[in-house]
Amino acid sequence: MNKKGQKRLFLILTVLVVGGALISLVFSSFTGALVYFYTPTEILQQTDSLSGKKVRIGGMVQEGTLVKESGTLKIRFMVTDGEKLFPVQYDGMLPDLFREGQGVIVEGTWQPDQDFIASSILAKHSEDYMPVEMSEEGIAKAKKSILKSMQ
Amino acid sequence: MWIEIAHFSALLALILTGMQVFTSLYGVHQNSPAWIRVGRQSAIMVALLLTISSFGLINSFLLHDFSVLYVAKHASLDLPYFYLATAMWGGHEGSLLLWAWFLSVYIAVAAWRHWKTHAGSIPYVLAILGCVLIGFLLLVLFLSTPFERLIPPPMDGRDLNPLLQDPGMVFHPPFLYMGYVGFAIPYAFAMAALITGQAGEEWVLATRRWTLFSWSMLTTGIVFGAYWAYYELGWGGYWAWDPVENASFMPWLTATAFLHSVMVQERRKMFKAWNVFLITATFALSILGTFLVRSGVLSSVHAFAADPGRGVYILAFMTVLLLFSFGLLTLKSDQLETDIRLENPLSKESAFLFNNLFLLVATLTVLLGTLYPLAVETWSDSKVSVGAPYYNTVFIPIMLGIFLMMGIGPVIAWRKATWLQLKRDLTLPTILGLVAGVLAWLLGIHNLYGAVTASMIAFVLTSHLLDTRRGVVARMKSPGAASAMRALAQLLGRNKRRYGGFVVHFGILVMAAGFIGSGLFQEEKNLFMTPSDTVKVGKWTITLQSIEKVRKYNWNALQANMVATHDQGFSVELKPQKRVYDKSSQPTTEAAIHTTLWEDIYVVLGDEVKKDTWSIRVYRNPLVVWVWSGAGIMALGVIFSLMQGRVLKRKSQEA
Repeated sequence: MNKKGQKRLFLILTVLVVGGALISLVFSSFTGALVYFYTPTEILQQTDSLSGKKVRIGGMVQEGTLVKESGTLKIRFMVTDGEKLFPVQYDGMLPDLFREGQGVIVEGTWQPDQDFIASSILAKHSEDYMPVEMSEEGIAKAKKSILKSMQ
Repeated sequence: MWIEIAHFSALLALILTGMQVFTSLYGVHQNSPAWIRVGRQSAIMVALLLTISSFGLINSFLLHDFSVLYVAKHASLDLPYFYLATAMWGGHEGSLLLWAWFLSVYIAVAAWRHWKTHAGSIPYVLAILGCVLIGFLLLVLFLSTPFERLIPPPMDGRDLNPLLQDPGMVFHPPFLYMGYVGFAIPYAFAMAALITGQAGEEWVLATRRWTLFSWSMLTTGIVFGAYWAYYELGWGGYWAWDPVENASFMPWLTATAFLHSVMVQERRKMFKAWNVFLITATFALSILGTFLVRSGVLSSVHAFAADPGRGVYILAFMTVLLLFSFGLLTLKSDQLETDIRLENPLSKESAFLFNNLFLLVATLTVLLGTLYPLAVETWSDSKVSVGAPYYNTVFIPIMLGIFLMMGIGPVIAWRKATWLQLKRDLTLPTILGLVAGVLAWLLGIHNLYGAVTASMIAFVLTSHLLDTRRGVVARMKSPGAASAMRALAQLLGRNKRRYGGFVVHFGILVMAAGFIGSGLFQEEKNLFMTPSDTVKVGKWTITLQSIEKVRKYNWNALQANMVATHDQGFSVELKPQKRVYDKSSQPTTEAAIHTTLWEDIYVVLGDEVKKDTWSIRVYRNPLVVWVWSGAGIMALGVIFSLMQGRVLKRKSQEA
């Protein structure tokens, strides 16, 4: 092989090695970073297989279940998908949009047979937020769409 | 009244755009310039009509015309005028109109600027851009229209989403769109070049300034978005790898790759097919970005209510665009062949090749993280999300690789560089880079990535400065440039494009310092405070003095009056708020931020946990202002580059 050909081969090999290394970095970090999302019903069906895994659970904050511990930021509430109720504990500042009757996603490590302790809470920011004066129908529709988007 | 004018203008614009496409193509077919001229006039009329249409919508906002559904949804009587006019892009319907309006104006400008210089391509450019515009106008007119009436009209509107009532949000969408839309022009020229068989360097040269302009708009738009997130969302950060942020970042990455690789085509006539691919990818990703945000398929801060009809339309639009572009690219690929081969690993071409490799892997990284959850959701029942750690692990090494190329690229020679040259040009930068890395470590940056980034910043900076210095010295030897200052002025003036690029690189370095400072060294404290309590963060002592109620414009707020005193004695007031807008029951957080060159003090007011005790969150974010300043420097660099004349007359003399 002449010298030019060798240099070209060297260049191609370098591109392949660098590109390959980067791509493998992408995929190796990717698989570890996936967090699966479940509804309360789903997670209660497969409690054992998910033990120790990081999960997200989404639903609505059930009206009347939010309990705040005075003097701390600790709260407890129930997340529901309309079928099952699922208890959650959290200690920290809440997002602005968190409240009873609204959609919520809680993230944390799943430990079967223990209360779920959320490490973070995401409330859905919705552009179509419903102001107080909205019609009953509008609110019902909005809630439905929130639930639908959670499913 | 105004909304009807707006509506009919848009309808007329749609018809005229159809005419623009038809007459341009018919003109080519009949070989009749008169028909093509009709196409050009239509394009100009369309731009005028859509301007009228957009101002009609804005005027409906200014007149508080709540009989327009879109106005009723996004404004109220109490909304300040500043936000009233900009509420036009507060929802997806209006922002699609904004997109179409920008595109029509760009088409008119392109038709005017390139009419004489690129007579062969212009009909195809008009036809292709016309089709894109028709796609958007159909969406605006029939699938998500801002022109719909609401009868009977309500007394007052629902008000603009409180989160959008922020200056950052006023500027974020228009700039982003000016960037997105701008890539349509080079894309259309590339396609026209393929069709006419003139797939040489002409289209690249013709659209150089369009690309640069759009790139700088997109950069500015993205940074405005980050700035908005930082000021408005109250979580102390500015970039969360949210799918929608990613959607705007992907075209930026491919556009950056394009900006660099076109230089190889200009100088060496290589990478031809690659450049067509890159600009197509950039434009397609811009459209994907617009649609992802506006379709509600992604759940995020920006996501809007989902509408399946719109989703299907968007999918069809993307499919047609991609099939057309890549089909054409495949059919005409023989035109793009070149007998010049890249054979020397030690050359500027190969530095650009690696720059492109890094940027492309970066794009794939983001694409995978953004679209994989969507794919999982579509093909299975599970829902999945990809966390920020994934992006951070992958992006920091890629960024460092890009910096390495950034330091080498400007000094290495085209075609064939020698080790001797490289040794001459890069010894000092390498030494200074290593010194900077060690210094950074000794000064307390006990983080491998942080220290390596510092090292890379010094490396790139020195290599750029040394290169400029060599240029000045060379020029001083020529007659007419006796002093170093004059030589420098001459050097910069004659190579605006090159040195504008240097300034952009400098902006990136400043930004990178900001990323490292705020990303790795953020301090966060969560605590409960009663009035007169103090907390110490960094060199600041923050005292909570009182909590009071305030009322302004269209909101009520609880405000914490705090004073932050620096160790050196001076003090500033901090007033974080929790606002409740009249038309909304949800509180929004207004962080109080004190910015200095070295750090931001960022305070958020939380809930009252018991009587007179408030939860407070304090951040010390080092070097955040460097991120914004870096973006400013980048914009200046691009403006300087844009001042370069359009003909590359230096081409021969420099080579």
